[in-house]
Amino acid sequence: MDGTEEIAIIGWAVTPMVRTTDKTEAQLLAEVVTDAVADAGITRREVDFTCAGSCDYVAGQAFSFVSNIDALGAWPPKSDSHVEMDGAWALYEAWVRLQQGDLDIAVAMGSGRSSTADPALIYPMEMDPYYLAPLGVDAVSFAALQARALIDAGITTERQMAEVAVRTRGDARTNRSAQVSGVFDVDSLLSHDFVRAPLRPHDLPPITDGAAAVVIARKDRALELCDRPVWITGMAHCAELHYPGMRDLRHSPSTTSAASWAGIDDGPIQAAELQTAFTHEEPLLVAALGLADDVPINTSGGPLAANPIMATGLVRIAEAARHIRDHGRNRTLAHATSGPCLQQNLVCIMEGSS
Amino acid sequence: MTFVESTITFPYRRSLGPVIGQFMSGLTEQRIVGIRSGARVIVPPLEWDPETGHELAHDFVDVGPAGTVTAWCWVESPTSQHPLDRPFAFALISLDGADTSLAHAVDAGTIDRMATGMRVAPRWRADRTGHITDIEAFVPGEQPVLPTNDGGPATEPVEMMDYRASITYRTPVTTNQIRAEQASDAGRFLGLRCPECGRLYTGGRNFCPIDAAEMHEADEIDLTQVGTVTNYTIITPVQYPGQTETEPFARVNVLLDDVDVVVQYQALIECPNDQIRIGMRVAAVWASEAERGGDNLTVDGNLIGWMPNGEPDVSDPDLVNRII
Amino acid sequence: MSHQPCAIVGIGQTHHKSRRWDVSLGGLVREAATRALADAQMEWGDIDAVVLGKAPDLFEGVMKPELYLTDALGAHGKPMFRVHTAGSVGGSTGIVGAHLVETGRHRRVLAVAYQKQSEGNAQFALGSGKGASIGAGGAFAPYMRSYIHRTGAPKDVGPMVAVKDRRNAFKNPYAHLRIEGISVDSVKDSPMMWDPVHYLESCPSSDGACAVVFTDKKGGEAAARAGRPPAWILGTAVRSEPSNFPGRDPVRPQAGIDCAADLYRQAGITDPKRQIDCAELYVPFSWYEPMWLEGHDIAAVGEGWKMVERGDTEIGGAFPVNMSGGVLSSNPIGASGLLRFAEAALQVRGLAGEHQVDGAKLALAQAYGAAAQYFSMWIVGSALDSAS
Repeated sequence: MDGTEEIAIIGWAVTPMVRTTDKTEAQLLAEVVTDAVADAGITRREVDFTCAGSCDYVAGQAFSFVSNIDALGAWPPKSDSHVEMDGAWALYEAWVRLQQGDLDIAVAMGSGRSSTADPALIYPMEMDPYYLAPLGVDAVSFAALQARALIDAGITTERQMAEVAVRTRGDARTNRSAQVSGVFDVDSLLSHDFVRAPLRPHDLPPITDGAAAVVIARKDRALELCDRPVWITGMAHCAELHYPGMRDLRHSPSTTSAASWAGIDDGPIQAAELQTAFTHEEPLLVAALGLADDVPINTSGGPLAANPIMATGLVRIAEAARHIRDHGRNRTLAHATSGPCLQQNLVCIMEGSS
Repeated sequence: MTFVESTITFPYRRSLGPVIGQFMSGLTEQRIVGIRSGARVIVPPLEWDPETGHELAHDFVDVGPAGTVTAWCWVESPTSQHPLDRPFAFALISLDGADTSLAHAVDAGTIDRMATGMRVAPRWRADRTGHITDIEAFVPGEQPVLPTNDGGPATEPVEMMDYRASITYRTPVTTNQIRAEQASDAGRFLGLRCPECGRLYTGGRNFCPIDAAEMHEADEIDLTQVGTVTNYTIITPVQYPGQTETEPFARVNVLLDDVDVVVQYQALIECPNDQIRIGMRVAAVWASEAERGGDNLTVDGNLIGWMPNGEPDVSDPDLVNRII
Repeated sequence: MSHQPCAIVGIGQTHHKSRRWDVSLGGLVREAATRALADAQMEWGDIDAVVLGKAPDLFEGVMKPELYLTDALGAHGKPMFRVHTAGSVGGSTGIVGAHLVETGRHRRVLAVAYQKQSEGNAQFALGSGKGASIGAGGAFAPYMRSYIHRTGAPKDVGPMVAVKDRRNAFKNPYAHLRIEGISVDSVKDSPMMWDPVHYLESCPSSDGACAVVFTDKKGGEAAARAGRPPAWILGTAVRSEPSNFPGRDPVRPQAGIDCAADLYRQAGITDPKRQIDCAELYVPFSWYEPMWLEGHDIAAVGEGWKMVERGDTEIGGAFPVNMSGGVLSSNPIGASGLLRFAEAALQVRGLAGEHQVDGAKLALAQAYGAAAQYFSMWIVGSALDSAS
């Protein structure tokens, strides 16, 4: 991406991920913003631009993000925006804004209290209002259809899906922010009844309440504030047509496009955090991204360990940044998604200082 | 943890436009209609080609009625929004003559009857209105299943569709809000003072929006319960599903005595709308024991509203500017 | 390098009505988008990215509608983005779209904003389904009462704005309201909805959409050479402030003042009343016109109403405001902000037809939302150096 301002992630915070929190969304955000700016070594006052991602229908309230603005300390008034999308896209807007070159520091947030209502009743409302919503086709049903397509095509098997669940939730044991973690046994998991054949309980993400915030800064400020800035070398997103029956569910071309635009071919990826809420999505996305077999995937546990809707994608970005800042890796990838059967995908590629 | 439940439910009414309308009208005639885009037939029909966005001519073609299942999943426990209340499959169905798959239910009975590649055909509802559920579900086999007592096709082109969404939310009531409510049980009006800037807030707020500083029990302060009306409006109610008001009702802003707090949009008790004055002295009115509780946990606990207390009006031309 | 010029080369909007029952949701947004593409002489395939904006999804009962609308807006295989900043969203949508071009991220961006309010009910949605919803009017009425008081403005000023905007609407083929014979008296005789605001002083509930095509310097210059002059973006700004803290002034919000100051700095405006030729300001209730004139430093504090009384804000006046009829004449909430931005662009392109301000070269547009706490603004010019 020529002429792009160099922008780095200089701090972040992720709330504890729990099944149900007694905190409001605004409280979650206030805490995570406090922690994120502290992690970045700044105060709220020094933040030039804020952008939040949240969803009225998940919160159960029109204009729900308005009360969330109280979490920012927006006084004096702030340059601020909001997207009705996962916080990963809020980060995208913030990243674009900083590239104008007039502002130095931005904070992107994502918040979602998924425990607020039954996702199976909410998510049909994001589907085609004429042909899909009235059938109540929910996100899990669509995921299950995609899993079936992958299994039929020999791209994955129920056993391989269970292995993804075992691996990620096992890895999640070292992640303090993970909600579901532990040592599980593939055969034992496979003995459970289907929830939505071919998906079993272990193939699904937990219902999670949580929030995340990520702080980014332009080069000069990033170097002043941070010993190990995590440079965003590319970020791009791409959508596909909506109706799943009109797409080839075995592939994710929008993920491939987003990754290409984000510069995935510019160097090897050493670790990836993918927004795979369902186990079968992992082999699909790994193929779409062309990741080598030995690339660690979702060592944080990924969404299968904690899935705070509207923040899950932003958490992936934070975790991919953690690989660089805290675990010595040099080039990592984060992925976020939205819509039924991975309709829309975002890829963020980041590097440590060379 | 304490939670409050609220349900958002609304009878949405959607206009279909010419293409979806054609499809829905077709359903009432037991026809499944697709639309041509170049050499392909798109089902269900869209007004545009999904890959290019180009507007499509209204070149409709009947597809099916039978088709082949290209993907399926088994719904063991249907939700209240699903089309069937017993276990069933959702499937993508490539109807004969279509180049894309329709999503719908398959009433196969048991999971063992489902397989990718199986043939299915629609079971039509007797009373069809022009809705995707005019097909009750698909069933295994080649032949559509027709209803007895067939209601027949729509007599006019279908142009509208109803959609009722009802979602019940459980949102937490925070500790500060609970304490404010409990205090109101004892007739106290609780405020919270920001430990950093000293501003006061009502309603059990959790933090000061200026400093994003948390406020806790130690920051609580009893507020006065008498104040002066600074501003007001009188609202003529508009009817909508869920509306509770029928007569014009007032909302007043009250500046409390001795503290820098204005409570906004408060109910006014025992004062006709045409006698509201800026500068009027009012006192808080609390719900009686009998009136308390219930599902409506308001932000200000058991505070019903404010009532004129008979004191002489305050004369201050700047009062009306004190809105917040 | 990171802040390149951005040109608006295509503008489209729907015929705004209380019920667009002739179209689906997709049909509504495409009507605006196809007009914008035609104006830009582009095809769907020419667009690199799409930005969608609208206000709460509770209005239509479709959550995250950018998903369903992706292919309707030709965004299959492209980035699709959804902005939501309450009433200011239409403006934010335009600004996000412009930034994608200004930062060199994309060459051609389509921004679309809409609301199809007839599918639900505005009062229901504004109150999240609870009873005794006070609506936007009820929330703003105390602010307007305060303005009237602190300025000593005569009571007719609000109705004068309402009349001006509805008469302007007759000159805008897309406007929703067409109130024959509207007058200050007929406005004052209309029912009092949110004391002190009468029914005819408030905005309608509309179905509608607006679309804008942005491109880069090269594209803008090519359009100019082809006889289709673009509007150039000279500045954009957004600000937010918290809704509720003791002493907040919602009548003259700091966020609005700061936003305008930032905007003027970018565009080189030091004397807004003299340098700016006209404005499209978000006026959903009559009194907001004088309030925003002051908030934008076009009138001195306490004097905005005098401009209205003098007729300054008429199309032929010293400082025309809402030549299109404004929000008072058409209010598909999510689109209204982008409509303001688009109408300002139409003015400096000389394409506003019957409601054109002669010789307009520099125009201001503004949108606001929630408790008058979200602001988005831009300044457009007929040339990149229009301010000088």
